[in-house]
Amino acid sequence: MSAAAEVSISVLGTSALLFEAPGEMTLATQQRIWSLAREAETWPEVREAVPGMNNLMLSWRRAPARLDEIEARLRAAWEDVEPLALQGRVVELDVVYGGEGGPHLADVVAHTGLSVDEIVERHSAPLYPVYALGSHPGYCYLGGMDARIATPRRKVPVLRIPGGAVSIGGAQTGVSASDGPSGWNTIGCTSMSFFDPLADPPALLAPGDCLRFRVKKVVR
Amino acid sequence: MIELLSTSALATVQDLGREGALRWGVGTAGAMDPLALAAGNILLGNADDAAAIEVPVFPFRVRFAADCDFALTGADVDARLDGRAVLPWTAAQACAGQELVLGLPHRGATWPASRAYLCLAGGVDVPAVLGSRSTQLRGAFGGLEGRPLRQGDALRAGAAPNEGFVEGLGLVPPALALPQQRDGLPALRVLPAAEYLAYTEASRAAFWAEPWKITAQSDRYGYRLEGRPLEAVATIEMRSHGIVPGVIQVPPGGQPIVQMRDAQPSGGYPKLGTVIEADLWRLGQAPIGSRVRFIECDWDAALAALDEMQHWLAEARRWVGLHRAR
Amino acid sequence: MHADDIRRIAAWLAATDIGLLELRGPGTALRLRQDGGDVAVEEITEAAQPALVVQAPSVGVFLHRHPLRTNDLAPPGSTVAAGQVLGLLQTGPLLLPVTAPADAVVHELRVAHGTAVGYGTPLVALLPSNPN
Repeated sequence: MSAAAEVSISVLGTSALLFEAPGEMTLATQQRIWSLAREAETWPEVREAVPGMNNLMLSWRRAPARLDEIEARLRAAWEDVEPLALQGRVVELDVVYGGEGGPHLADVVAHTGLSVDEIVERHSAPLYPVYALGSHPGYCYLGGMDARIATPRRKVPVLRIPGGAVSIGGAQTGVSASDGPSGWNTIGCTSMSFFDPLADPPALLAPGDCLRFRVKKVVR
Repeated sequence: MIELLSTSALATVQDLGREGALRWGVGTAGAMDPLALAAGNILLGNADDAAAIEVPVFPFRVRFAADCDFALTGADVDARLDGRAVLPWTAAQACAGQELVLGLPHRGATWPASRAYLCLAGGVDVPAVLGSRSTQLRGAFGGLEGRPLRQGDALRAGAAPNEGFVEGLGLVPPALALPQQRDGLPALRVLPAAEYLAYTEASRAAFWAEPWKITAQSDRYGYRLEGRPLEAVATIEMRSHGIVPGVIQVPPGGQPIVQMRDAQPSGGYPKLGTVIEADLWRLGQAPIGSRVRFIECDWDAALAALDEMQHWLAEARRWVGLHRAR
Repeated sequence: MHADDIRRIAAWLAATDIGLLELRGPGTALRLRQDGGDVAVEEITEAAQPALVVQAPSVGVFLHRHPLRTNDLAPPGSTVAAGQVLGLLQTGPLLLPVTAPADAVVHELRVAHGTAVGYGTPLVALLPSNPN
C-alpha cells in the first residue's frame, strides 16, 4: 500500500513472509531493503530473501512453528540496517515508442493528459536504478519513474505481450524479458537479452544496476 | 526411451519445482499435483526429484522404444497398454514396442481430476537447468527445450533403480485417504493475506460461504474463478511484491485469480488470501468447469496440514519400501 | 420354486443385513446376494470343472474394485488372462494385486468387497480355461 505509516508483515500461505516498508517509495528505503535481504538470507529458516518495490519476501526453507519470534527478529533487523549503496553498471536500451510495439501509449495519454512527446521525454530522461528482479526470468523492477506519467494497471490484464515490451504499471516502469501476460500499459519496445539460464548469474542485471532508455524512434 | 505418438497441447516435463531462483525472477514451475508425482516416484523407487510427464489433456499416446517400468498417477483415465487396461496409481511394466494410450478420465470416477502423471523408472532424463527439470514456459528453458511436448518428441528415462520393482503394487490416492469437502465440493484451506480486511464484510463472507467456479481461462499460470464480484472498501493500488503459488489476487473486476505453479513470482494486485501449500495439489487437480470452496484457516492449522501431507508421503515410502525390499 | 416366492424372499432379504443366502431344494439351487438393499438372484450351477481358488497373499482388506473406480475388476462370469488383476488387497496406503494364476473364467468372489481377510483366505474361485 502506498505511504503506509508503519511496517507491515504478513504471510503468503505457509510458503513465504512479506515485509513491507512504510512511507513513500524511495531509493534510500530500497537500499535498506537490500541490506535487510542480505541479513535475512543468513537465517536458517530462510531459503531466499527476495526484494520487491520497498518490500521483501522471505521464502521459507521450512515454515517456522512460531511466527512471532521471526517477526520480532525482522523488525529489529529493519531498525538496525544501514542502507546498502550498491554501485552497479549502467545499461542503455534503444526504445521505439508507440506504434505496434506500444499499443497502450494512447491510454497513458488519456490518463495523464500529456502529449506523446511529453510522455516519451519524461520516460526516457531518468537513470533508473534496478530495485529488484521479479515477475519473470530476468525482469527488472525499476525505480525513479516520473510520477506525472503514472498510469494505473489495466482493468483486464493482456494475455500476451512480447519480450522487450516497455511498460508502465501504476507509478512503476519496466521492460519484459520474454513473452507473457501483463497488466501494465505497454508504451514501446526494445531488443535486449535479459536472461540466459546457462549463464552464471543467469540474469543480465541485478539490484543496484541502472537502466537508461534512449529514444530510437517515436511512432505516432 | 519413449516416443510421443500424439499429444494435444500442454503436456510438459515437470518435477517438484525449481527452488532458489526467485532472486532472478524465476518461479518454481513444477507439478500441479506434486503428491501424485511423488507417489509415482515412490512406486518406482525413483529419487524424490525425478521428473515425469504432466498430461492435462487427453487422449495422449506414447510408444515405449525400450523396456520400461512406469506408473500412472494423478487423474484416473482410461489407460491401456497395447489395448489392455492399466490400473491407476500402480507400478506397471512395458516392453519395447508397446503403446500406451491415456484416454479420457473415467466416467463414474470416484475422484474428478484433471491431470495425469506418467512416471518412468529412472525419471524423465532431460538436463537440469538452475537445479530442476521442470519446464519454465515463460523464458523457454527446462523440461524438454522449455516447451510443451509434441508429436514425434522422444524422451529418455534415467538409469532405473537396480532392483525391487514389484509389478502391480499400488497406492490409495490421497484424494481418498485425505478427503476434504464442503457441501460435496473439494475444499481448500486459505490463510488470509495482507489485504484481506480491505474487502467488504459481505465480500469476505461470500468468499468463504459460496462456491467458486474454475473458468475455462484457467491454466498452470493461474485459475480464474467466477463467483460473486469481490469489492474492496477503497481502491487499492499496490507496489510490486513477491508472491507464491496459491496467492489469491483480486484484479479490479472483482473476480479472483489463484496464482498457480507457473505464476509470476511477483505481482501488484491486492491479495485476499493464499491457498495453503498443503492443499495446492487439490486445486491443481480441480477440472475446468468444476467448483470449489474455500475454508478459512490459521497458521497452526496450515502447518498441521503440511505435516499431514508429509506423513502421507512418509507412510507411502515406508510401505512401498517394505514390499520392494522383498 | 415359484417366481413370486423368489420375489418375496428377495424383499425379505433386502430388509435384513444378510449379504448372502443360498437356497437348495429339489430342482432348486439359488444364490441371493444383497448389496445395500439391491438383491441379485442367480442359479447355482455346479462347476463342470474343479474350481481354482486364489488365496489372499497377505493380510488386508479385499476390494473388488479399485478405490478410484465404480466397476468391479473381475465380476463373476468374466474371462480373465493369467496375471490379470482380480481384486486388490489394501494394507495401510498400499494396494497389493490379487492375480489370476492362469487363463480362466471367474466363478465366484468368495469374500465381499471391503472385507478384512487373513493370509490364505480364499478370495476368488476360477474355472481354468485349459484344464490339465
